[in-house]
Amino acid sequence: MSDGKSVLVIGGGMSGLTAAIEIAEAGNNAIIVEKTPYLGGRVAQLNKYFPKLCPPNCGLEINFKRIKNSADVTFYTLAEVEKISGQEGNYDVAVKVKPRFVNDKCVGCNACAEACPVEMPNEFNFGLNKTKAAYIIHNQAFPFKYAIDEKHCKGASCAKCVAACKYDAIKLDMKPETINLNVSAIVMATGWELYDVTKLDILGGGKIKNVITNMQMERLASPNGPTTGKILRPSDGKEVKNIAFVQCAGSRDENHLPYCSYICCMASLKQVTYIREQYPDSKARVFYIDIRTPGIRYEQFYWKIKEDPNVTLTKGKVAKITEDSATGDVIVVAEDILAGKKIEARFDMVVLAAGMVPSTKGAKIPADVSYTPDGFVLPSSLKRGTYAVGTLKSPVDVSRSVQDATGVAIKSIQSARRSK
Amino acid sequence: MAEQVIKPDLNFINDVIASGGESLKKCFQCATCSVVCNVTPEDKPFPRKEMLQAQWGLKDKLLANPDIWLCHQCSDCTAYCPRGAKPGEVLGAIRKMSLQEFSVPGFMAKMVNQPKFLLVLLAVPALLYILIIASQGFFGDVSIPTEDGKIVYGKFLFSLYYVDTVFTAIALFAVSSLFMGVTKYWMAMSAAAPNTNKVSLVKALYDTILEILGHNRFRKCEVTKGRATAHMLVFYSFIGLFITTILAFAKVIPEYFEHFGTHLGIDQSLLDGLTVIYKIIGNISAAAMILGILLVMTNRFKNQEKAGLGGYYDWLFILLVAGVGVSGLLAQFLRMANTVVAYPTYVVHLCLVFFLFAYAPFSKMAHMAYRATAMIFAKQSGRE
Repeated sequence: MSDGKSVLVIGGGMSGLTAAIEIAEAGNNAIIVEKTPYLGGRVAQLNKYFPKLCPPNCGLEINFKRIKNSADVTFYTLAEVEKISGQEGNYDVAVKVKPRFVNDKCVGCNACAEACPVEMPNEFNFGLNKTKAAYIIHNQAFPFKYAIDEKHCKGASCAKCVAACKYDAIKLDMKPETINLNVSAIVMATGWELYDVTKLDILGGGKIKNVITNMQMERLASPNGPTTGKILRPSDGKEVKNIAFVQCAGSRDENHLPYCSYICCMASLKQVTYIREQYPDSKARVFYIDIRTPGIRYEQFYWKIKEDPNVTLTKGKVAKITEDSATGDVIVVAEDILAGKKIEARFDMVVLAAGMVPSTKGAKIPADVSYTPDGFVLPSSLKRGTYAVGTLKSPVDVSRSVQDATGVAIKSIQSARRSK
Repeated sequence: MAEQVIKPDLNFINDVIASGGESLKKCFQCATCSVVCNVTPEDKPFPRKEMLQAQWGLKDKLLANPDIWLCHQCSDCTAYCPRGAKPGEVLGAIRKMSLQEFSVPGFMAKMVNQPKFLLVLLAVPALLYILIIASQGFFGDVSIPTEDGKIVYGKFLFSLYYVDTVFTAIALFAVSSLFMGVTKYWMAMSAAAPNTNKVSLVKALYDTILEILGHNRFRKCEVTKGRATAHMLVFYSFIGLFITTILAFAKVIPEYFEHFGTHLGIDQSLLDGLTVIYKIIGNISAAAMILGILLVMTNRFKNQEKAGLGGYYDWLFILLVAGVGVSGLLAQFLRMANTVVAYPTYVVHLCLVFFLFAYAPFSKMAHMAYRATAMIFAKQSGRE
């Protein structure tokens, strides 16, 4: 049984899950408020972790199991914090929960999706394919319940899904509700968004079909992604055997994100292995300003990739990308700095190593905190009882987010105990 | 690889920073600039390597190279630079310094490019004309002669002595100084990259002239589109005014002979026809010059954020050209209006023209000689 009041965790991604579970397993109550219909956040979208190259769903499964087994973690999906007042030990929080239109009777049979006539861009797959308005993000999603998208669903006038559901699980008349919580501490863990590559005009972001983002690449390579893990280029489904990675697409650029996004170099090197493993005769080229792989494990990973004769690392930032409309190939222009030549190279597909934007750049949490101009939480502005984790403070990888979340768990338990 | 000894010139680095390249050290060598630049050659492209050379104080490498002048400061590089290092402005600063390095006599370049010497430089033509006017007695009792009560500048200041002679001397000085400067530049480039005569000098010269006349390279600028048009207007107005000057001089030759008692017996209607022609060319050119330089100014303000406003070196030249154009047209209109203000306006015009040409080898005006030289050298060495 738990001591003290609950801790509110805003965000059900890897950081939020970790914080909540650690808090609960240390004997305190934790409540997760997640904006989307599912837990897992960005990590659920990844194909593999670096540098171990193991599937993230494995770790997520364990966490989901820990939640299921714990009486001390409560979670709300499709929920957003609307208002926070009070101080450490006594925060009043208003949470708005949007209707899922699917209740706990759902068994995940997919009949509703089959019946649903409405298609919408699959956000989970970054628009690489479409999904029905009655959907589940992937086959290991948690909670394993379908959701009906409020924006796209035609409502009671259609109701084909209701007829198709044998389990009486769909209720199109569900209404949004507001839940009032009283908690002792708040952990902000709302994570990050990918930088909007359509702002990178000279890199053809969002304009050239076969120029995709690093997160789209994760989905393409993912067994539960739009191509069931076959890396095929979007324009014509051709196998991608000649690929380029454009580092610092937006990051370290005063015109876009002035900071280094920290993970993109490792992410691209990891994605090089996706291609090289899937197509043994494939070639990969990484264009970089500097390869940043801090720490011995990451450095070793970089050295290993560098040894592959089919991998070329070219020093020189790409600043021009065009499309060969006849073939769909992508033409990349860069200066090969070490050779002192401007080069033009052709690829099947190009991956923009887009940077990380804290979610608080756009969606501010209604807590009493200040932000940097880039939208990161200013750590010094956090009052006792309010904590921020992971990518809300600076771009970090999953393992550092998890470490941070574990550290914050103890801090928030202290907040709860202080106010007992 | 052969051993290389790098000798950084620390003073040079500080000079670049002081000359408008204060953003130099922000560069982190990503090479965005070289890629977005539409006017650089593919091989050893600029301006990334210039940024590195400047950061390292490799003065000789930078100055003995055609590349700094092949740059037209489109500012595409500056606009897309992820660090705000402003390669366009840094190269502009380096070009200014290359004038100080090569122009003869060198101290003049230092004077022309420092605001504190502006009054001294202006005083030279001003004092000259004050002395001339005083010598005519116009400050005393002597009234300025007219032609049937109408103002004629030739009666105020006899043009053979006080305009043609003065300006021929200035032109000779400017041309020989510029020639010496570009020769030094050429020799420095040849010493740095010998045996590169891939194209004949005549062919390189011909191609360069065609390129300049068409502003082909200039037109490739993207961020500062419109600069090519503005520059072209000013450029062709200079050519137009040069033709005007030649024709006007041809027209007064019979008068000069007359002055010394020789009658050439040239048909007056021919001279009158000539006058009409050069007045038309002159007025069109003056209008083009004023319009062009206004566009130059508005472009600079419009592109200020992405391309920088420019410094004293740029604005001295811009305002001088504007001043020459405006004072020239004004002098003509005031003369036609037959008002006495015409005389000082005319004198101001002469002083500005004096300033423009006498100091041309050291001011931004010299860019035409140095850039043309760099283009010829680059073409001759197959660097395109």
